[in-house]
Amino acid sequence: MTTFIVRRLLQLPIVLLAISLLIFGMMQFLSPEQRAATYAKTEQQAKNLDLIIRQYNLDKGFVVQYTTWLKAVLRGDLGYSKQSHEPVLDTIRKKLPVSAELALYMFFPTLLFGVWMGTMAAIHRDRFVDQAVRVFAIVGWSLPTFVLAIWMLAVFYGYLKLFGIGRADDSIMVEFAKGTLKAYTGMITIDGILNGRWDVTYSALKRLVMPVATYTIVASAQIMRVLRSSMLDVLNSDYVRTARAKGLPERAVNLKHARRNAIIPVVTIAGLMFAFMLEGVFFIEIIFNIPGLGQWAVPAAIQLDFPAVIGIALLTGLVVSVANLAVDILYGIIDPRISFQ
Amino acid sequence: MNPQEMKPQREAWYRSKTFKRFRRNPLAIVGSVLLLGFVAVAFFAPAITAPQLAELRTARPCLRDLGIKKDEALSALRNPLNPVFWKATLAPPPTCYEIPRDGYSPLPKPPSEKHPLGVSGGSYDILYGLAWGTRTAFYVGFLVVGISLAIGIVIGGLSGFIGGTVDNLIMRITDVMLSFPGLVFVMIVSVIFGSGLTTVMLALALIRWAGYARFFRGDILRTKAQEFVDAARAIGASPLRVFLKHVFPNAIGTLLILASMDVGSIVLTAAGFSFLGLGAPVGYADWGQMISFARGYILGTAQGTPFDFWYVWIYPSVMLVLFGLAWNLLGDAVRDALDPKS
Repeated sequence: MTTFIVRRLLQLPIVLLAISLLIFGMMQFLSPEQRAATYAKTEQQAKNLDLIIRQYNLDKGFVVQYTTWLKAVLRGDLGYSKQSHEPVLDTIRKKLPVSAELALYMFFPTLLFGVWMGTMAAIHRDRFVDQAVRVFAIVGWSLPTFVLAIWMLAVFYGYLKLFGIGRADDSIMVEFAKGTLKAYTGMITIDGILNGRWDVTYSALKRLVMPVATYTIVASAQIMRVLRSSMLDVLNSDYVRTARAKGLPERAVNLKHARRNAIIPVVTIAGLMFAFMLEGVFFIEIIFNIPGLGQWAVPAAIQLDFPAVIGIALLTGLVVSVANLAVDILYGIIDPRISFQ
Repeated sequence: MNPQEMKPQREAWYRSKTFKRFRRNPLAIVGSVLLLGFVAVAFFAPAITAPQLAELRTARPCLRDLGIKKDEALSALRNPLNPVFWKATLAPPPTCYEIPRDGYSPLPKPPSEKHPLGVSGGSYDILYGLAWGTRTAFYVGFLVVGISLAIGIVIGGLSGFIGGTVDNLIMRITDVMLSFPGLVFVMIVSVIFGSGLTTVMLALALIRWAGYARFFRGDILRTKAQEFVDAARAIGASPLRVFLKHVFPNAIGTLLILASMDVGSIVLTAAGFSFLGLGAPVGYADWGQMISFARGYILGTAQGTPFDFWYVWIYPSVMLVLFGLAWNLLGDAVRDALDPKS
């Protein structure tokens, strides 16, 4: 097991290198001047692009250019974002905790709800519960995140005035800006606890209800479908019949014998979902006015702010690779039969 | 014996078990009816919106390109005997995809006789956008599926045919493509080539092929292992002939059916990008663009009356969801019908 994890960890840099090559390859569609402009921070520098071209080897061959670029990236020099008027890495550092907090709160309810629905549907196959869950899944699947989000916004924020938008009450955000509340982690629900202010955490959690509900409805369908079909397979297997025959309670058969074995495909899907959650996070940040990565990166893409988009692409590559790694390791923990040769 | 008689008779598709399973699924019927409705709206879009085309001054470029005057628009566009009807229906000029506007007022106006579904901010006619947007949806969906399917079939076919190192390399590339979120890919392509509907379609096609390539390769390997392929090889057919005559035609069916069901999800994804402002420009008949443009009106006026301008955002979003629903109902039924276990 340990050998496997070590070997898998050693593969990570290779995958990341491949992704960086893909991104860098796409950058080659731009002229050296355009790429040089991404490093210019002032008017003065923008007029003197030749200097930057020479400094970053932008007029040399592919290999030299790539190694120079990669070295700069590894140093943390991702260029300068026109959209946020600061280096890309600084913006990512500021905005990542906001998006990560949102993503974590979205991920677990979606996973648990999907697993619960899938289990119920499989146990009650072809009966009312199953049909209802399946219809819900198809409808949820046909609702794009942004459509459901604006419907939620209109009903629960505009009409019923139940939940606010943004990250927390304005007065709390002012306190963060003034420094009376310290941003230890950048994640507001945790910072509230660290500051000993439960009202801050409560206010932030309340504003997370709409985003989390939106995403759960939209994304749990996939988990449910996968678990339902893999659990139906397992429920038909011999050892489940044996377990029933020896008189185990139905609940133990379903949850201990069947679901435990049916969950492996769900791990794959959940890993993929976590990697792809960035999309959902971007839509939700823009609609519910949460100042995370999406609120910066999407306008950046429209404004042709090249370094910002490349920074986001590199970050995505990192998140995706780490999520895949986590899935592989989780396989071993959940299913000891999988051998790591 | 006559060799013709030895050939097993192929069962007609409409009598096959698979089709019977599909036909008996009530959800499949609902999906098919919905989809037929969308096809009808797309087909008759010029006829449906003939009054708007005739009355709104900003629709003149479209009429000019169709070669008619505003007085004859209503009769010409609704008369199948008139060649203009067919030109507008089958090959409308691009100018017709610009939603005509009735003035420049920033305030939306509720449904009226002149504008059956109201006008959005900037006085864009909503009915026009919805009807012609149905065409855009089909266009985007079919084009993206077509392009990515073509790439996927060629690359997946090569991978399965050649095998070995090439196969391994291609599969690693698809691994990377499949694990990269489409939105980020679209953002990269947008900053390189500029944003627009074409960019979105290009980016979607460039990311979607990987799934098809993998699926097709799997089916090829499965078909290759069957006995009739061994038989063909045994009588001395060349590898290329075995592949093109025996493996390829038998492996491709499922892929074509399953891929065609992806039209819905592609349209939903593309609409999302339009919503973010990365797709179709303002005023283009595209549902995602219409929802994006309606964003400022979702919460109504400053007095806090959120459903004041409901028609601006509810109509396009409902169209979009129903379109996705139609395809997903159909796709779900098709997958069930193809599944030998059910």
